Amino acid sequence: MPIRHRLFRSTALTSAALLMTAVAGCGSHAGTGRAGGGTSGHGGTLVIGATGKLPNPDTMMGGDGFEGKRLVAFQLYEGLTRYDLSKTDGPSRVTGALATSWTVAPDHRTWTFTLRKGVTFQDGTAFDTAAVIFNLDRYLNPKSPYYTTALGAAASEYAGDIAAYRAAGSGRVTLVTKAANGHFPEDLAHVLIASPTALRKSGTARFATHPVGTGPFAFVSQTTGQRIELAANKRYWRGAPKLDRLVIEAIPDAAARTAALRSGRVNWIEYPNPDDIDSLKSAGAQIVTNSYDHLWYWILDTAKGPWRDVRVRRAANYAIDRKAVAESLLHGTADPAYQAAPRATFAYDPKGDTYTHDPAKARQLLAEAGYPNGFSTSVTVPTGGSGNLLPVPITEALQRDLADVGIKVTIRTTDWSTLIGDEAKGTVALGSDAIAQSTTLFQSEALLPLFVGSGSPFWTGHYANKNVDRLLAAAAASPVLATRQDDYRRALAQVTADAPWLFVVNDRNPRALAPDVHGLVQPQSWFLDLTTVRVGK
Amino acid sequence: MRRFLTRRLLLAVPSLLGVTAVVYATVALVPGDPVSAFLGPGASPGARRELAARLGLGRPLPVRYAHWLGHAVRGDLGTSVSAQRPVTEVLWPALQQTLVVTAAAFALVVAGGVLLGAVGALRPRGPAGRLAGALSTLSVSAPQFSVALLLISVFAVRLRWLPAGGTHDAFGPGGTADLLRHLVLPAVAAALVPLGLTARVFRTALAGVLESDLADGLRARGTTRAVVLCHCAHNAAPALLTIGGLQLAYLLEGVVFVETLFDWPGLGRLLYDALAARDFPVVQGGVLVVAVAFIGINILVDAAHALIDPRVRSTS
Repeated sequence: MPIRHRLFRSTALTSAALLMTAVAGCGSHAGTGRAGGGTSGHGGTLVIGATGKLPNPDTMMGGDGFEGKRLVAFQLYEGLTRYDLSKTDGPSRVTGALATSWTVAPDHRTWTFTLRKGVTFQDGTAFDTAAVIFNLDRYLNPKSPYYTTALGAAASEYAGDIAAYRAAGSGRVTLVTKAANGHFPEDLAHVLIASPTALRKSGTARFATHPVGTGPFAFVSQTTGQRIELAANKRYWRGAPKLDRLVIEAIPDAAARTAALRSGRVNWIEYPNPDDIDSLKSAGAQIVTNSYDHLWYWILDTAKGPWRDVRVRRAANYAIDRKAVAESLLHGTADPAYQAAPRATFAYDPKGDTYTHDPAKARQLLAEAGYPNGFSTSVTVPTGGSGNLLPVPITEALQRDLADVGIKVTIRTTDWSTLIGDEAKGTVALGSDAIAQSTTLFQSEALLPLFVGSGSPFWTGHYANKNVDRLLAAAAASPVLATRQDDYRRALAQVTADAPWLFVVNDRNPRALAPDVHGLVQPQSWFLDLTTVRVGK
Repeated sequence: MRRFLTRRLLLAVPSLLGVTAVVYATVALVPGDPVSAFLGPGASPGARRELAARLGLGRPLPVRYAHWLGHAVRGDLGTSVSAQRPVTEVLWPALQQTLVVTAAAFALVVAGGVLLGAVGALRPRGPAGRLAGALSTLSVSAPQFSVALLLISVFAVRLRWLPAGGTHDAFGPGGTADLLRHLVLPAVAAALVPLGLTARVFRTALAGVLESDLADGLRARGTTRAVVLCHCAHNAAPALLTIGGLQLAYLLEGVVFVETLFDWPGLGRLLYDALAARDFPVVQGGVLVVAVAFIGINILVDAAHALIDPRVRSTS
């Protein structure tokens, strides 16, 4: 009996396997010739292959990097302001979203925002002053039943400067900051407003499973962290998006992303491997790039060994061939960075480009500093991470360039979470003399002092310059854009001269699109406006 | 039999305690912390401290472990740091997805392993047997990652017969047939190595029995080839069961790379992401589920072994 039983079972299993293969064979043609095919609606379905885990879709909870904010949070929600992402020829500026206009009192702390009329949340309820107060309570007031420690901590990044808030009558709200804050309108683009009705229904604990905002796309379904499906918000105040559906799928492996696009599983991928760009182009994909406020750099420990001498740090900057990294290694998906200010920011001044590839000058500076035969040093490099491009190959290229002038670099690799975890505690993972990483320096202005300010809680290579601190503080306090631009330019020119970093490249945010994806306007920003995109002939 | 099972279940308790304690300590020692991974660079230091306190990160490790264990035995695995939802809610859908891909892969392992093993044992010197042997050797030694990429490149990108990843076609209506189409490549990629191993073990076991006195005796009595094969297969079954059980457990652990490469939203992928985000409660809960499954499979295999082979029952 047992034998027959087992034989029957193995026959059943074999049949199941054969059946599975047969089913696969039958359905196989459905996947052919349909890269980016639209569905019944006129705008089609856009399926984006994202590079990392998708964020918690509860407003500012995020937690999985800026890509999640770009593709999920900023599609579901808006703040009182937003980035104007409709232009390709200059850095994106802040404009009104749920507020139409604002004024600031002479103290540069008290801001009054006039709210947009006639806006509704995706659940059909009206957006009004009470909704703004409700959301700010949820982020800032521990007594709110919708406040949680985790949400409060996450919201403190952009809402932490708000000291007081109140309704000011006739569709206006007044917000008071703790100190003079000239970039407050930009901070508010990240303070996202959710539907109070939906929040009351689900509570904060379950809101991530039913998120509702005023953004261009409304939530449909999700597989936590892996996939999220959104549908066009037909009531969107700027006009309904052209797309019918927007699906974001996390595909962390670069080769798998390329395969996903080439097989027609998705019709858009974020950050294709630079080595795949040529083959993707020849397969008919559109490669779209534009500069933004990104910098890939090494932070040098300016309090340790030879890096203490500014001439040595400048020498290293003259020694490296950034153009080769940008063009040969990254296949034009990045631009060489000759100074601290990324080229797609309002603080960038082409006249500030300083560090050309000049090994002779590098050797001369090293000799002047007392290192005619060079020296040995070390760098900790992440193996991956959002925006980090190809961290190890880039570092290896720099290692060769630096070795040419006598600087012998030992590369130590670690994972991205370890590197930033230690950096947040003010230390360097694996105890090296430098770390390699990337950042979006101006996303937003509020974050700039964390990277170059002397009071930063982060590890900044012990860099401190009172002039930089003074200029950053002056810029941050001024609501006048021209003043801020001037101060930031001078601050970053000082950083360029002090060379606490090895300035390497500015990313161009490459993405590959199927041939039938149209209407993308790629702005000079990390963020994206997907309302203009459509899929079809 | 009941005593056998009770004893095995009781022995599982210290194993689980050991595994969870070791994993808890290891995860806590990994550099990086959930607060830095969860919060953006601009979050205030005060908010960081408050969140760290809320997560209990300041308390001594044994206290944290005891607290976790106290809740875990009641079915409460804590709250995920990044999802801000109960760990069980995050784990359950992922576990279901992993079971689907593991079951499909295991079906291939058993069917393919038995087939290749039997052909190899029955026709050891014929071309069919040699081919079966070569296929099982190739299957064991093929680099899984490269083969998975090759499968995608050939069947998804070039031929477009099968999808490159995911569980459903985002452009289509979905459904079971769609799920099955998506299951083929990950199941084949995951099954490859265990299939080869199973085939080799079954082939050796069956060949041994076929050459034994038992087979000769059966043949001498004039029984048909099919009956001889049935009896011999019965005697080779314990080996198949042992290797099958081991391979099932191996599959459960080994699907991490398959899930990552094929974007299958299962437990392996969840654990990989959770580890990168230092989402300790999810890592701990996920490891507990895998450990329970691993130990559970072993107990089942032993029980099945005892059912087939009376000697195992009597010695236990």
